Amino acid sequence: MEKLRKELQHATLLHQTRRHFLQSVGFGLGALGLGTMLDSCGTSSAADSPVGNIAQSRIPQFAPKAKRVIYIHMAGAPSQLELFDYKPELLKYHGKDCPAEFLEGKKFAFIQGVPKMLGPQSRFAQYGQSGAWMSDYVPYLQTVADEITFLKAMHTDQFNHAPAQLLMHTGSPRLGRPSLGAWSVYGLGSENQNLPGFIVLASGGQQPDAGKSVFGSGFLPSVYQGVQCRTGGDPVLYVSDPSGMNRDMRKQTIEAINEINKQTYEDVKDPEILTRISQYEMAFRMQMSVPEVMDVSKEPQFILDMYGVKPGEGTFAMNCLLARKLVENDVRFVQLFDWGWDGHGTSKDHNVEGGLRQKCRESDQPVAALIKDLKMRGLLEETLIIWGAEFGRTPMQENRNGLVMPYMGRDHHLDAFTMWMAGGGVKQGFSHGETDELGYYGTKGRVHVHDLQATILHLMGFDHEKFTYPFQGRNFRLTDTEGKVVKEVLA
Amino acid sequence: MVSNRIFIGAGVLIVAISSFLWFSGSAGSSSVDYNADVKPILNKHCMGCHGGVKKAGDVSFLFEHEMLEPGKSGKIPVVRGDAHASEMIRRILSDDPDEKMPKNGTPLNDDEVDILTKWIDEGAKWETHWSYKQIEKPEVPSLNGFSNLFGLLNTGDKKWATNEIDHFVLDKLKDKGLKVSPEADRATLIRRVSLDLTGLPPTEKQVVDFVNDKSENAYEKVVDRLLKSPGYGERWTSMWMDLARYADTKGYESDGGRTMWRYRDYVVKSFNQDKPFDKFTIEQLAGDLLEKDKDGFPLEENMIATGYHRNTMTNNEGGTDDEEFRTAAQIDRVNTTWEVWQGTTFACIQCHSHPYDPIPHEDYYKYMAFFNNTRDEDVWDEWPKMRFYKGEDSARVERVKSWIRETKPEQLPEVTQFMKVMEPKINAHNFIKGDQSTVLLISYYGVKNNGNARIAQVDLSNADNVVMNIATKAENAVLSLHLDKLDGPVISEIKVPARDSVIIAPIAKTMGKHDVFLSLKSPKSPDEWVRITWMSFQKALPGNDKPEYQQIVADYATLLTHQAESMPVIWEGKGDFARKTNVFVRGNWMVKGAEVKPDVPKLLAPMPKDASKDRVGLAKWIVSRDNALTSRVIVNRFWEQLFGKGIVETVEDFGSQGAEPTHPELLDWLAVKFMEEDKWSIKKMLKTIVMSSTYRQSSKTDEYKLDKDPYNIWISRGPRVRLSAEQVRDQALACSGLISDKMYGPGVMPPQPDKIWQSPYSGEKWTLSEGEDRYRRGVYTYWKRTAPYPSMVTFDAPSREFCQSRRILTNTPLQALVTLNDPVFLEAAENLATKMQKRGKTPEQQLKEGYRMLTFLPIEQKNLNVLVKVYNQALDAYKKKPVEADSILVYGKERTPELAALTISANVMLNLDNVITKE
Repeated sequence: MEKLRKELQHATLLHQTRRHFLQSVGFGLGALGLGTMLDSCGTSSAADSPVGNIAQSRIPQFAPKAKRVIYIHMAGAPSQLELFDYKPELLKYHGKDCPAEFLEGKKFAFIQGVPKMLGPQSRFAQYGQSGAWMSDYVPYLQTVADEITFLKAMHTDQFNHAPAQLLMHTGSPRLGRPSLGAWSVYGLGSENQNLPGFIVLASGGQQPDAGKSVFGSGFLPSVYQGVQCRTGGDPVLYVSDPSGMNRDMRKQTIEAINEINKQTYEDVKDPEILTRISQYEMAFRMQMSVPEVMDVSKEPQFILDMYGVKPGEGTFAMNCLLARKLVENDVRFVQLFDWGWDGHGTSKDHNVEGGLRQKCRESDQPVAALIKDLKMRGLLEETLIIWGAEFGRTPMQENRNGLVMPYMGRDHHLDAFTMWMAGGGVKQGFSHGETDELGYYGTKGRVHVHDLQATILHLMGFDHEKFTYPFQGRNFRLTDTEGKVVKEVLA
Repeated sequence: MVSNRIFIGAGVLIVAISSFLWFSGSAGSSSVDYNADVKPILNKHCMGCHGGVKKAGDVSFLFEHEMLEPGKSGKIPVVRGDAHASEMIRRILSDDPDEKMPKNGTPLNDDEVDILTKWIDEGAKWETHWSYKQIEKPEVPSLNGFSNLFGLLNTGDKKWATNEIDHFVLDKLKDKGLKVSPEADRATLIRRVSLDLTGLPPTEKQVVDFVNDKSENAYEKVVDRLLKSPGYGERWTSMWMDLARYADTKGYESDGGRTMWRYRDYVVKSFNQDKPFDKFTIEQLAGDLLEKDKDGFPLEENMIATGYHRNTMTNNEGGTDDEEFRTAAQIDRVNTTWEVWQGTTFACIQCHSHPYDPIPHEDYYKYMAFFNNTRDEDVWDEWPKMRFYKGEDSARVERVKSWIRETKPEQLPEVTQFMKVMEPKINAHNFIKGDQSTVLLISYYGVKNNGNARIAQVDLSNADNVVMNIATKAENAVLSLHLDKLDGPVISEIKVPARDSVIIAPIAKTMGKHDVFLSLKSPKSPDEWVRITWMSFQKALPGNDKPEYQQIVADYATLLTHQAESMPVIWEGKGDFARKTNVFVRGNWMVKGAEVKPDVPKLLAPMPKDASKDRVGLAKWIVSRDNALTSRVIVNRFWEQLFGKGIVETVEDFGSQGAEPTHPELLDWLAVKFMEEDKWSIKKMLKTIVMSSTYRQSSKTDEYKLDKDPYNIWISRGPRVRLSAEQVRDQALACSGLISDKMYGPGVMPPQPDKIWQSPYSGEKWTLSEGEDRYRRGVYTYWKRTAPYPSMVTFDAPSREFCQSRRILTNTPLQALVTLNDPVFLEAAENLATKMQKRGKTPEQQLKEGYRMLTFLPIEQKNLNVLVKVYNQALDAYKKKPVEADSILVYGKERTPELAALTISANVMLNLDNVITKE
């Protein structure tokens, strides 16, 4: 196999020397695929592998602070006003008509006419050395307040779930652009030979509103798309052998396939065949490593308790634990989606009182546990955790169709919401940005979605303006034509 | 025969070429070529700031006139004939960091500076980019070298070449010091050409017949048969579906289903009929505006063809603005038309002039004006749709039609039109809401007791009736229509039926345009919504003096009320329903600039003077001889499908940022032939290509060729390309004998894993197809944009939100997992094993046969040994544990360890590189 490996490296170098990257995309995807899904062909580290270097040599880069990312997206958008953005003034306005200046020229997804203001439904206090304001909805997160950097004046352009999620993850509200995770793996490659570089875990019973496109590869080659690991059925599609075929037999069949493919290569000399041989090897390894990494039964009880996980459950808590296992195994980008945060006040589950409290009950403990667990293992420094949603919620109570909602609820809000980050290269115990006294607009330190993306890329070692991919005659980038790194939050 | 013609002119040609070479060698070698030498430097260093996006210092190099005009500084960037006086050169050479160009960029190297200097000194000649130039048929290169000066000997290259394509290819190969490859063996060749032309492998009998056919035109007979087979249309439809961004769902968040399969079937039929590509183009872009049938309605086939541009997405998400997403669809139509037919990226011109190619910003909106008159408005249920009436409703339609034919035939077109597409009508999202009103189903108007609304400026002059789709559960609700004011005169009073129906109510005769006010009284159920989806003000049906009149009116109302199968189509708005088009300032649809009239960009040939300035005129212009870009782009697309790589590699971009053609003369020759000689026949064009010796070469390569030309740019060997997503599936089904040859109809749902479909807000489910529908070709698989069929996506099929010209092939472990473990492929393996078992007594024989069934070649002993080994290992295992054999064999009746072991071997074979690759 050593000779084959050399030939593969040779073939790969050929790809690299292409003057025009576009051309190498057209011709040599096999090798490129290798570059991302397994950085090297059995040799030790990414640094001395020519295949891994394809990505690294291509892009201007400075030393990454965040080598891995866990991005936790609460699909539907929780209310910042019940969790982190403490607005005592809002309580005074509770039940009063919304001031006209909040409504002029504005469009909301559901609010019509003049809505009433809605005071915070939770109780706030300050926590940690940093004195971070947090509510009683998130008692566990309070204990790691000093690890976190809050972005309290986030804003976006889109007030519907799917386009806002797309904007957050792909930089554009329309379908068709690569997602943050795809860009990351395209840029940094993957350090694990046996697992995909970009893995997606979803909970809450639904996929994110914008479907697979929020973790798609857009115009980047499809090897960069997020691979969804599922908690029911095959963790990765078709990763399990059919019943009636044991591991030995699968090994024998893949050996046979590769043996004959090797003969074909000797005969026709198509370098693509060498790539295929190594992809079958990786497929075989993935069959072992994916179920292994997805299996938490060997985790000690205290870890399971810390996350609040029961083996066999496809919960958000389980996904947090899996996220830790994945980054521990050098997966570059782990994307979590949890569905069910859309607190309009329309039902028992979807509101900013009991419903939101319940969603927090399910997610607060595991998120805090994830931070602690990574820190305990010395992984937090190099792992960036991002928590947030596609937008925030209005300080007004929703009045869909001019009606009074059965529960306390808030409409989609794009002018102010809170996100937070922890770990890999961001300040500990810090808060950036402020909103006005009713939490409607950001008054200081406003951060647009594109600014956040620029900052995340910066933490991963990329200048977002230079990190581009040529498509349809244009150099595209994640931040489109916008974006400024938020220097204030960098450690 | 083709060669003969070339020989005749050969002598003269040699003289002409050699004298040209002599001339250029002595005097012209230093001449700078704008397109080849200058434009790339401008694109790389200058256009980013001085192009279509930015015009820093008021300087741009996008248009010829711009570079000659003084910038903000008053200095002229390019002074023709005098590089020294040109500000451009001065700034490039400047040492002052504030002045030096490019600002903050990599400085130009000496060669680049030399080229620009020389270019300006020589007069700064401006040239149109190659692809936008007119074309004439180029000369075919002669094959007569010095060893065969007068073409008398029929040897070497001359013997190898079959047609003109080979001449062009040989010409380049000689340049590069490469030699052609011999023809592929017959089995490999027939597999290649079958997969290429029909997407399916040949049958074993077809292979044997071809191998044994000693006649001179044996190969041509195969090609002709394939071009006639029904699979041909299905194969090329797979390509066209990506370009049409065809899907069975609406897209966006809820991504609900839509009925679009008739359009897909139209494409299959069009390819199979070899409909000329110009006609195919015109039908899809303007089918609704072409010839009418006896009832004055466009031909059904042409209406279905307009589905092409109804494959845009429709947004049903709450709170969205229908107009915004209608605009998004319009923009997509413009971009798609440009990408598919003109190979030019037009999207960037939405916000500013093209960054690199000379197309100004306004041209985008002039072009959009051709499309912007269509009646689709992103409404929930996707009107306008063409309705296909069945049974009793179909009889009603005929009764209404014959009634009108007898009473007032001139009214037939408008009534037929309304029955077929329900146009023109006012969509209720255009109502201006008053009290007690809201939006229902994202698009429609909801009103309660004492609620009201205004409909602006309705022309009532010819209206006797109001026809509307209205639905409610409220009882005894009464809707009244007032003229000009909320309390203005009542022109109609309508008792709203407590169900969803189309009702027809008379209105008082009124002349001119008026605001019409609706008001609802519904005291009995004040909290029930009344939903109005649309209204149409119409002439009454004729013949109201006859006794049967009421029956005919009832027929008309009934057939409009009844659900009919329907598909979204393009329908042009006329009169009050025509739209104006404005420039969107910096691409923002909310900021309207100057109004524009439909026209094509000046970059290309103008529309003929007598051409209609509508979609028909546009479509005819696209396929006119003067706009040769279309033919270049289309020929290149088909070439790319066969060779895995276009003559212009960037099939989607023929602009100055795209790749240069590797064989420009060949591309032009094919393009002209396609238009003039083949009269846009795709079958003829494909036949020319696959008949060439270039195409028929063996795909085997060697170190020398790999070193000289690793990507086979110069085609010194045949194409070797992984099968497409559809082909991987179709081949497995075909070789194992499972495939169904059933054509047409709604998308089918073959087995896929659970939980792939999990879209919020939609109750739609993947319902496993039964019977032969499980084994249909990939082109018929139901295509949901937010969750496409997983194995297809893994093999690089796009999700089809937008048109995609090229599927960039990847090679990933996830693909291996599909062909190893997807039940579709396991079923194929078991079926193949069953067939193998019947073919031989010994395992060796059976394995040999299996290999032949997939590759049509005898297996080499070494490889057979590998298969025998894996067979024996499996057999041992299954003999030890027969229960395992029971589990692996799930599809047939037999459960023996032998069949199980053969199934495992078939699973191996279905994964071989030479099986999932077209060789």
